Amino acid sequence: MKYLPLIWSGIWRKPGRTILIFLQVAVAFVLFGVLQGLKTGVEHAVDAARADLLIVHSRLSLIMEGLPVSFLDPIRSVAGVRVAIPVELFLCYYQKPEQGVLSVAVAPDKDWTTAFTFAIRPQDLPAFARSRTAALVLETTAKKFGWKTGDRIPLICRTAQKTGSPNWTFEMAGTFTDSDFGGSGDKILMNFAYYDEARATGRGTVNHFNVSVTDPSVAVPVADAIDRLSANSSHETKTESIRELAQQQVQQIGDFDFLIRAVVSAVLAALLFAIATMMVQSVRERTSELAVLKTIGFTDRTVFLLILGEALAVCILAAASGLGLATAVLPIAARFVTGLSMPRITLVIGLGISVLVALISAAVPALLAARLRVATALAER
Amino acid sequence: MNFLRQAAALLRLNLGGLSARGGSAVTILIGVTCTVGVLVSMLAMGTGAHRQAVGYVRDDTAVVTSRGSNGLDSSVSRDEAATVADLPGIASGSDGKPLVGHDAIVVIEGHRRGRGVRVFFPLIGTSPIVTAMRPEMHFTDGRMFQPGLHELVASNPCVRTFTGFELGARRAVRGIDWTVVGHYDQGNNMQCLVLADVETLMTAFGRNTFNEVVVRLKSPGDFDAFRAALEANPAVHLQVKRERDAAEERFKGFRAILNFAAYFVGAIMAVGATLGAVNSLYSIVDARRRELATLRAIGFGSGAIVVATLVESVLLSLPGALLGAAVAWLFFHGMAVSPFGFSFALDVTPGLAEIGIAWALVMGFLGGLLPALRAARVPVTTALRAT
Repeated sequence: MKYLPLIWSGIWRKPGRTILIFLQVAVAFVLFGVLQGLKTGVEHAVDAARADLLIVHSRLSLIMEGLPVSFLDPIRSVAGVRVAIPVELFLCYYQKPEQGVLSVAVAPDKDWTTAFTFAIRPQDLPAFARSRTAALVLETTAKKFGWKTGDRIPLICRTAQKTGSPNWTFEMAGTFTDSDFGGSGDKILMNFAYYDEARATGRGTVNHFNVSVTDPSVAVPVADAIDRLSANSSHETKTESIRELAQQQVQQIGDFDFLIRAVVSAVLAALLFAIATMMVQSVRERTSELAVLKTIGFTDRTVFLLILGEALAVCILAAASGLGLATAVLPIAARFVTGLSMPRITLVIGLGISVLVALISAAVPALLAARLRVATALAER
Repeated sequence: MNFLRQAAALLRLNLGGLSARGGSAVTILIGVTCTVGVLVSMLAMGTGAHRQAVGYVRDDTAVVTSRGSNGLDSSVSRDEAATVADLPGIASGSDGKPLVGHDAIVVIEGHRRGRGVRVFFPLIGTSPIVTAMRPEMHFTDGRMFQPGLHELVASNPCVRTFTGFELGARRAVRGIDWTVVGHYDQGNNMQCLVLADVETLMTAFGRNTFNEVVVRLKSPGDFDAFRAALEANPAVHLQVKRERDAAEERFKGFRAILNFAAYFVGAIMAVGATLGAVNSLYSIVDARRRELATLRAIGFGSGAIVVATLVESVLLSLPGALLGAAVAWLFFHGMAVSPFGFSFALDVTPGLAEIGIAWALVMGFLGGLLPALRAARVPVTTALRAT
């Protein structure tokens, strides 16, 4: 501890150089934090996705091919199924085509919310279930378009009504939030019965069924049992939990793992060299000062540790501020992928790496300083 | 003139003394190499994906879809399709029939070789006339599908990337077994495209409208006349785009994401490398204080010193740029990646190398500014007196 002032004065011997190195390390760790945070953040979000919420969709595609709504009763009769809800997705827009809104038509049967990732205020539920034209709006969507509960919302949709008109009007009954992985984008919930009755085409088909199970441990056998119902028919189903779906989404961006690793290694390699040359330079300039320290009794080991301490202090402080900045920036990225956050483990790994970088890059200059012969060093003057 | 001669002489002196300050030069070299290497590799994803997205495009081909749609949600009725075939400007095949193809697109799932990752990709129902419309399409194995039969043909990238496309393989789609009967190449297309007979596919999926009508024009110049005739026809509610424009439009959003990622990472790394270069150049200048003071004392102007230091900095960043671009080309050119379910090969082009080099020159210039000013301001008397 008593050497701290000495380390401190060593660091500030050339303030310009130290500030530059500090910034360079900080910038590197901002990048490390953002990239690594994205990766581990996504992994965490996947682990948090529910394994007991099943999506029954066509084997052919997730949303492109529909299923007959008549599958509902057989699915409900499968042992272990708690609720099965038909879901139809269709695209609409508000005022202009750039303002897309996804309409999710659901049947608000008993306990229907257990089969979704939506959080809805209990007092809004009866109003939504009662009225055929009622709609619940994603909180961010309502804020974006300035909609309030009780407003009439006119949307123009890709699916026309029986009258041929693409205009649909809903009454806003409340708001909801969505914790689904990747569940960003504007959307509203509407009543499936009303939609199915009013639409011009595709009546009696749905995009998928959402199923919640009585017990998370039976999710896999329930999924298999549901898929067996339609095996070898012309509408084969595939039942997956939303965690499995999230995992697949992540696997699809999987090659970015390799890229992130490559980028981070390149950054660290450049950093190692920069710090090492700077420290060597610094030790060379201080030859006589270090020789004086040794003359008044500092051992080789202490001098070695002093130089190492300087590098450690700069690296750790810079890495901490870089990671801090990355943590502050990441919520911007989280807007695109819901559920993203900077896990603490990333911060710990980052600080660990900064210690390693400091130790490796300062090893050679510290050794130079420790091996310094007092007589020759002072004679050079 | 005198100024330039001074600067040139100083530059020779600067570069000549570099070997004595190798550490600093190597720091700049490695910093720039890493930055340019990463930037070029990441931009190569964008160019690779783009080359693939427009790889199949013909300039004399146009795509007709329902108005306001973007491909998959388009629907063109049989009546409308028949009207399109009668419009002017359409080329005729050797048998005199107009070169008009009808496409219906469905999405099926596939599994990548190796890790078995699931990817969704389009199965395109198309008219058998497609072989006449796209002469660059040729079969490397097997044959074309026969109308009316449940047969598939797959482009060779499918066979390489996904499982289940071997000749004779059967894939269950809509409860029916479809047999893979041919493999084909199409120009420099790297995309996985699976084709089937459009009528058979639409029957299997219970559809009665096409997604799009593809027409081969007599020449690329006939496009405007064709479009005018289509839009003037009150019987149809359709739009037409050149095939290239349609492909570019579909691709725009994806490329924006890739390029944003590349420039974001590239910019942060460039800031880091520039800071490193500033530091290295400062220490080079510091180590030469007496030398610089001597030069000033014997009459070299401070302007010449600034220019010489700046040029030195820019020159020091050049080898790193070349090395970085070379590393990107050596290690990543042609590497197959599949982010977001798209699958394509990285494409490192000379244009990207130029971007990387320009990036490095800017880094060198900005990094050299402050050290150059310090070099020019070395106080002659104190620097010479100092030991």
